[in-house]
Amino acid sequence: MTILTTLLALAPVLTGPVDPSGGLVAIKVGRAETVSHGPIDHAVILVDNGKIVEIGADLPVARGIPVIDRPEWVVMPGLVSCYTRLGVESRAGQEFNPEVSPTPELNPRHPDYKEVLEAGVTTLGLYPPGTGVPGHASALRPKGKTVADMVVDEDAYLKVYFRANSASKKLVRDAWTKVDEYDDKVKKAKEKWDKDNKSKGSDKKEGEAKPDDKKDDKKTFVPPEPDPKVKPFVQVRDGELGMLVSITQSADWAHWLDAIGERKFDYALRVVMTREIDMYEVTEEIGKRGLRMVMEPQITLVPGTMRQRNLAMEFAKAGAKIAFKPRNDTVQDHVAWRRHVGEIVGAGLEREAALRGLTLEPAGVLGLDKQLGSLDKGKTANLLFLSGDPLEPTTNVEAVMLDGEFVFGEVKE
Amino acid sequence: MKSWIDRRSLSFLAFSACMGFALPSFASPSAAQEGEKKEEAKADDKKKEEKKDEWFAVLNGDVFTGTGAVLRGATVLSKNGVIEAVGHEVEVPTEAKTLDATGLRVYPGLVAINSAGLFGATGGDFADSVDPYNQRMTLALASGITTAGQSNVALKLKRRDIKGVVLRERYLATLSFTNSNPQGKREMFERFDRAARYLRDYRDWEEKKRDNKDLKEPAASGVDSTVRSILEGRVLARFNASNREDLLEIARLAQRFGFRPVIDGCIEGWTVADELGRAGAYAVITPRDRRDKEEQLVRDGGSSIENAAILHRSGVQVCVIPSTTGVDLGGIAGRDILHLPIEAGFAVRGGLTDQAALEAITIVPARLLGVSHRVGSLEKGKDCDLIVLDGDVMHYQSLVQFTVVEGKLVYDKSQELFYAHIRPRPSTQLAPEERKDKGEAEETPKEGSEAKPEEAPKEGDGEKPADPPKDPPKDG
Repeated sequence: MTILTTLLALAPVLTGPVDPSGGLVAIKVGRAETVSHGPIDHAVILVDNGKIVEIGADLPVARGIPVIDRPEWVVMPGLVSCYTRLGVESRAGQEFNPEVSPTPELNPRHPDYKEVLEAGVTTLGLYPPGTGVPGHASALRPKGKTVADMVVDEDAYLKVYFRANSASKKLVRDAWTKVDEYDDKVKKAKEKWDKDNKSKGSDKKEGEAKPDDKKDDKKTFVPPEPDPKVKPFVQVRDGELGMLVSITQSADWAHWLDAIGERKFDYALRVVMTREIDMYEVTEEIGKRGLRMVMEPQITLVPGTMRQRNLAMEFAKAGAKIAFKPRNDTVQDHVAWRRHVGEIVGAGLEREAALRGLTLEPAGVLGLDKQLGSLDKGKTANLLFLSGDPLEPTTNVEAVMLDGEFVFGEVKE
Repeated sequence: MKSWIDRRSLSFLAFSACMGFALPSFASPSAAQEGEKKEEAKADDKKKEEKKDEWFAVLNGDVFTGTGAVLRGATVLSKNGVIEAVGHEVEVPTEAKTLDATGLRVYPGLVAINSAGLFGATGGDFADSVDPYNQRMTLALASGITTAGQSNVALKLKRRDIKGVVLRERYLATLSFTNSNPQGKREMFERFDRAARYLRDYRDWEEKKRDNKDLKEPAASGVDSTVRSILEGRVLARFNASNREDLLEIARLAQRFGFRPVIDGCIEGWTVADELGRAGAYAVITPRDRRDKEEQLVRDGGSSIENAAILHRSGVQVCVIPSTTGVDLGGIAGRDILHLPIEAGFAVRGGLTDQAALEAITIVPARLLGVSHRVGSLEKGKDCDLIVLDGDVMHYQSLVQFTVVEGKLVYDKSQELFYAHIRPRPSTQLAPEERKDKGEAEETPKEGSEAKPEEAPKEGDGEKPADPPKDPPKDG
């Protein structure tokens, strides 16, 4: 009932035919894969100003609101490819550049962006290349005339390339030691500030706020700005920035745990799914921590054998959150992405986990799971309209909506 | 007696007088300190409580301790990875994890003096790059190896664990002393000579400086530090030698300067066993090594299957290592590191005693790696590294059923992809629910009759869940 009234209240504002460029519009589809709370049959999604205003089954739509009625369509959140280098040149080198962002390399006119957008990928996580700590990734929308148009979040996650060797471990240990040093510096500065303040206001009693105090610049303590090389790690420690740790084998994981010691901070794992990867050795360990894992939808083999393993399924069962990335970082594999994930579902992964792995979990890696990645009220209207089940190989993309705007597909009222 | 009490009371009085004087000044800080100490002690207690002791026991096996004794049906008890007791009347705590080894043999984990690739693709920085999940380590554990040397570092095969892998570094110093390089040989001799003279002067100086403090310390310049540490007994000198003449020269060098040489190869060692024995040599040999005798020479030479036996009889400590130290699936099968006990079996074939052959793959290599205080035999206080086999460790038919490293079961054959299907062990052999005597056994239905053969009871606590699949009863 409340929904109805809201819709009615909104109604007078709207007149005229479907405005494809982001006005209020109601979309009726056969089925909506919300990802966050299961599928909704006969779903109605109300989009306004680039956001999902309302979603539900058979919602009444007030007269005057343009309606797109496609009962044969299935809608799901736009795909999120959180680990890609599409459209940028590669470079490499073992370096420690946590402050580097890949956006200066960005070319908004690159044709790849249009192609993946038309395949339903509405968010990209562009990572900085290289080993060591090559920099931080940026979240992009694959459409825009300028770089600023494309960038959703400049600081999506810090990338750490970690391998089981003393150089990698030293890099990580040193980075955290620098954070400790910075903390000491802050502590000392705070003490000094306290001391200065006390000596200044020795006559005044503490807690008595006088009007002239407010004018004082040093009213609140401002911690010293950390070194640009240290800052990202401080942000990771404070939960302001995500971290993605790239590993290739169980031993890397064991040494990673050893390198970080007792420190507590959030991070996701990038597991490079090589043909004979032995990550099944640490399924339980990673699962019980509930980590996000960025991996390809790929069946792997037990080393030295032809025994197949579905690691995505095993990790999901153990409690890890699977965020898929396309098998190869190409346009073709972005197009075939849903089908590849479908194969993993065929091999035992739960359907819900698979759909999350295409949308909400990669959005979480980018730190955007509050804004996008599922069909929920208040989230960005990045919608992918399909001719059928998202994981069926015969399903086609019918239309794509990016920030409430149809960017692909023939849409009529 | 009385006088003693008097004296004591007197001294007590004196003490308390003293205290009475001094007490007020430092009473409060000392009390505070005590308080702190108590708190610390409490925290320590809490920590101890949090970290419970980990007990592990191998029950009822025939325990080959490696030092000579064989205890039939004995127990090995481990506490936090260290052997707490070996014997027949060992009290096993109720919380201990147990492994029933009834009908099986328990040996100390084997020690391979050289190995390659067991710790993953490491660049030598083992502590920071060991791969404890790699397949070669599993394969080595499956062949009984729990400690191995690589790049002159003694390492523990801690499967699924990266802590405490490195046991000891650089205990062996490889030297060259061969007749084929007379110049190098002479120089090596001079190095030993100089180091020996320096050490003699140094000891002399130490003696004399008590009386004469102005005496100068002998100059250490020009003294080879490696040779010096060999002569001081801090590291072992290792030589690669197999020629009779080279072996004799090494034996002479060792005797002259008083150190125990480790001789790798030692193929013709049997011809000069007495000399090597007198020099207190260790020999690292591969019993299957073959070499022709030099026919133009009259004296004995070439390889002999009896090499290990003869050397051992002359007092040489024999260590056995296969000819390939990696995991090698090509070439002639059975010559790689996975066949360490088989290689020792060939020494037995040549007359070495079983006991000496076992030592050749356990305690002797442990000594050469400088880790015999931790591994190489089953004794109280050593690491609980052991293997459980279904037969003699050196028999080609025996398979390692369980491997335990530092009190943790790291290998169970019935659970391993590569080994479970090979002669699966009958569940009854491991944990018989009840023993039947012969008369009862005959009552079981005969083959061909309608009744199914009685299945092994599955309720036993010690029973392993992975029973091998039983053959379906044949139709009559």
